[in-house]
Amino acid sequence: MTRASSTALLLLLSTATAAAPQAPEVTFARDIAPLMYDACASCHREGGPAPFSLITYDQVRRRATQIADVTHRGFMPPWKAEPESGDFVGQRRLSAREIERIQRWVEVGTPEGDPRDLPRRPTWPDGWLLGTPDLIVTLEAPYTLPATSTDVFRIFAIPLPIAATRFVRGIEFHPGNARVVHHANIRVDATPASRQLDAADPSPGYDGLMPRSAGYPEGHFLGWTPGQVAPLVPSDLAWRLEPGSDLVVQLHMQPSGAVEEVKPSIGLFFGHDQPRHTPTILRLGSQSIDIPPGERQYVIKDAYTLPVDVDVLAVQPHAHYRARVIKGIATLPDGSTRWMMHITDWDFRWQHVYREVAPIALPKGTVLSMEYTFDNSAENVRNPQLPPARVSWGQRTQDEMGDLWFQLLARNDRDRATLAGDVNRKMTAEDVIGYETMLRLSPDDTELHDDVALLYLGLGRPADAVRHFAASAAIAPQSAAAHYNLGTALAAASRLDEAAVALRQALEINPGSAAAYANLGAVVLQQGRVGEAVKYLEEAVRLDPANLQGLNTLSSAYAASGRFDRAVAIADAALRLAPSGPLAVEIRSRREAYRRNLKDP
Amino acid sequence: MSRPSAVAACVVLAIMMMIARPMSAGPLRVLDLDGRLVDPLAPAPGVRATVFVFITTDCPIANRYAPEIQHLTSIFASQGVRFWLVYANPHEPPASIRNHLRQFQYAIPALRDPEHALVRFTKATVSPEAAVVDQGGVLLYHGRIDDRWVNIGRDRPSPTRSDLAEALRATLDGTPVAQSATPAVGCILSDFLR
Repeated sequence: MTRASSTALLLLLSTATAAAPQAPEVTFARDIAPLMYDACASCHREGGPAPFSLITYDQVRRRATQIADVTHRGFMPPWKAEPESGDFVGQRRLSAREIERIQRWVEVGTPEGDPRDLPRRPTWPDGWLLGTPDLIVTLEAPYTLPATSTDVFRIFAIPLPIAATRFVRGIEFHPGNARVVHHANIRVDATPASRQLDAADPSPGYDGLMPRSAGYPEGHFLGWTPGQVAPLVPSDLAWRLEPGSDLVVQLHMQPSGAVEEVKPSIGLFFGHDQPRHTPTILRLGSQSIDIPPGERQYVIKDAYTLPVDVDVLAVQPHAHYRARVIKGIATLPDGSTRWMMHITDWDFRWQHVYREVAPIALPKGTVLSMEYTFDNSAENVRNPQLPPARVSWGQRTQDEMGDLWFQLLARNDRDRATLAGDVNRKMTAEDVIGYETMLRLSPDDTELHDDVALLYLGLGRPADAVRHFAASAAIAPQSAAAHYNLGTALAAASRLDEAAVALRQALEINPGSAAAYANLGAVVLQQGRVGEAVKYLEEAVRLDPANLQGLNTLSSAYAASGRFDRAVAIADAALRLAPSGPLAVEIRSRREAYRRNLKDP
Repeated sequence: MSRPSAVAACVVLAIMMMIARPMSAGPLRVLDLDGRLVDPLAPAPGVRATVFVFITTDCPIANRYAPEIQHLTSIFASQGVRFWLVYANPHEPPASIRNHLRQFQYAIPALRDPEHALVRFTKATVSPEAAVVDQGGVLLYHGRIDDRWVNIGRDRPSPTRSDLAEALRATLDGTPVAQSATPAVGCILSDFLR
């Protein structure tokens, strides 16, 4: 090529460039709109829970720098689980390349591009996303949220008007005022406890804690975070909802700056068939949390070895404001490990139930473990106490918690029974530690003493139950119930002499207690003082002819004194009151023995 | 005194007047809600300092500050501080601004700054952000209202510093504002001009 022709070629090239200017490398229509539609618009849309829409070119370019910033910092989309945690239903995550693409778009001046490149704009149904609910419940009257500066937590008991047992396949929560409702904890209370707490507060809902009786339905998580709807479960996995139960909804609200009315509604979806499978909820965690002020790296750990093969259906981490890093790991019997949950920047505001896209099969012998790290220094901007103070375990938001919940499905009924029993023992043992932690701070709280004592009795540790009931009785020496409880626990611990003393004290305060006479009779009977026992038991039955325990023991006492005719008659009276059940079976078999004695003196 | 120094004095005076009356020029186009041009720094009896608080109707952080902004106004208005709310998103029509004022119970006069004239003058970058200007038209402070927000999505349960209030106290005391600029957290204002 000669020198002249090469110059001509160069000229030609530059002419071509000038004639057809290069299309921008990143455009809204082709590159950015798909990301907005997928990762942002389900909340950032008209009527959605986010503060503004991010759908049209104008809407997006007028937030462009902001979008580039919050996606770069990982604040948006709000998905706290690191990618290694697994694939979850409803996950919103932008890849590093996508985040870079947004930044590049801002750098080149947010060009629109060719509108023909736009993907189909997504649409969202106006009402319920899961279909038509079988039951919709709401608050009787809206709650008025004041324009305070701090977050508000409020609990509402919502009655469920059902006449028969229902099998619930799912619920859909509508916040009623998405501007302020940040997340919802939802539980079911089969007792009136939540209702009474709600009623005691003149305005809708109440402040404080949910009662112990409000819990997850067996084997299932409930809750709501913005933009998330848990899909319906198959009918055979539904959970049972009994008539008379209330939905208990705790709203975490962030005041908007204006006075706001809040009236959430919940749609329930029922299945027709009896559920055949019930998952088991496992909670790992520590209730002995006790973090010194200023501590930046406080670590809690817990682990549990699976007694049977399971499928993991969902994972839910829970902690308060001082938690920073959340790790959940499964170590399989072959020594291999996999992440179950990993969050490197825990944010109490974005609590979420992470439901696996596909169940994770874990064989028997797998160790599920958790490790949480807390920062109780002033460096942690979310620390609710400044200067930092010692903090220990508790359910109030100023306390600290660290739990990792798993929803596990065993492969058959036998495995399920094994798993449920084992998990229950594991969790009750930790609950007991939580109570002991709370009692260190509130040693005079008789309710805490009584609750933990009952748990100890359930764990077969009557000596510990005695310790706490004795504390209750010492704090409230005028309480007949306290002495009664103590006497009952002493009897369970086979400390009969002391049990008799405590029960007599209970009767001194409340001479009309059939239950105390019944238990005193049982204790005295065990001590071999049959005549005295009969006297107490007859008094118990006289005070309360329907006292089953009293009738049962009285029947035994008559038998022990050789009065088999009376023993059979009293057993019959007991059976008329409780014709079926485990106690009836026991009474019936003893009644047969008494009858034989009657025939063969 | 010789002649040249008198000329120098004249020059200094001219520059000071320019600083003192930067708002009087028409092209800045700061508007009230009826679309009339306003000079928010025009001298008024008893006014010792002027505060601009930049907001938009849909910025959640700005909205959450509404009670605090109103609170600071009620404290400092009686001490000669004039407050202006400045709606900095030119795409927000006066009707939605009026609605917003009502909903958030603002009793503070509102301006629109469609061309970001005030935004530039006060060096504001986000909503919400505050600026303090003395009666001579000199910018004494611009930045956050307090340090509750550390970043978007990361806020303290309560602030540890009340920067705007401190700047105002210093201004009223006639002492220098210790920190004349602080980083504010919120919705980026320059985006609204795209």
